[in-house]
Amino acid sequence: MTIFQIISALFALFMMYVVTIHGKKRNLNQVEVWAWSSIWVAFTVVALFPNLLLGITGLLNFARVFDLLIVIAFMILSVVVFMSYFKVRSLEKKLEEVIRSEAITNGKKSNGKK
Amino acid sequence: MKTKTKKLPRDVWIVMPGLNEEKYVGSVLQKVSAYTPNIIFIDDGSSDATFSEAKKSISHVLRHRVNMGKGAALKTGCDYAFDELGANTVIMMDSDDQHNPAELQSFVKAFASSEAEIVFGTRRLSGDMPGFKRFFNQLASHLVQVLFQSPFIPDIPSGYKALNKKAYKKLRWNALGYQVEMEIACRVSKYRIPFTTITIDTIYHDHDKGMTILNTLDFLHNILWWRITL
Repeated sequence: MTIFQIISALFALFMMYVVTIHGKKRNLNQVEVWAWSSIWVAFTVVALFPNLLLGITGLLNFARVFDLLIVIAFMILSVVVFMSYFKVRSLEKKLEEVIRSEAITNGKKSNGKK
Repeated sequence: MKTKTKKLPRDVWIVMPGLNEEKYVGSVLQKVSAYTPNIIFIDDGSSDATFSEAKKSISHVLRHRVNMGKGAALKTGCDYAFDELGANTVIMMDSDDQHNPAELQSFVKAFASSEAEIVFGTRRLSGDMPGFKRFFNQLASHLVQVLFQSPFIPDIPSGYKALNKKAYKKLRWNALGYQVEMEIACRVSKYRIPFTTITIDTIYHDHDKGMTILNTLDFLHNILWWRITL
């Protein structure tokens, strides 16, 4: 086992701990805890036993398992960043609507308008 | 002898956003009050006494509970003016005493003497304006002109401008922050909204919060974004 595999496994364990904490704080629901934990368990398995993916790397014409992992990681990161971006935009828009309508409503009240 | 200042028409409202301006907002509002009682001040989530100071001078003071940015504050003010107070024209001013209220009448005259739906107050690009600001200012105007194949709009970052209700319906921006000035210029160019310009004084104070170089670079990146998305 290489040092890189050990670091990867420890990192995955740490991330599983983070997922558990957020699950307990109810920041993530049951399904989300399950989904994120599955990802990190799979990550740990692949980190410790990279040969499991040899069949897939051959099928997809990747030279090394590491290349396949990098591509998968980029795909996951892209999806997460993309979803976060739109979530933030949507929240920003909702916040703006609430703040602005509250300001206008209070302004109307203080000036005797209904 | 006290000279009598000419009041603005009743359907013209001043929209003035401000953030943490407790020291100056009172005097600025007093100065503007000499020209019109129609003033809306939007306290954009100030952490100081800006709201109460403004309330001492005028009645239409709106407050954002948290800071949303200049674009959001201007939109709140314009929505309030056009939809609730029956305004026909809104003149936007900064609350940091950079804009001379004596020039308010020039905006009204510009509307009367042209077919314009929006009037840009443009500063002379000389004198007190720092060199790098002048360069990026010019660059932004040229970029908008080239990218939108539209007439040249000078001094886009200037916050002293006026628009009528018809223009506001077409312009209603999405930008929450200081990028609003750029979005307005891009929308005017994109939708070919008739505009005119008037020359305004350049007043720089020690308490200017002005734009940084980073803000300016963000401005330029936004031009490309709006060219793609508008």
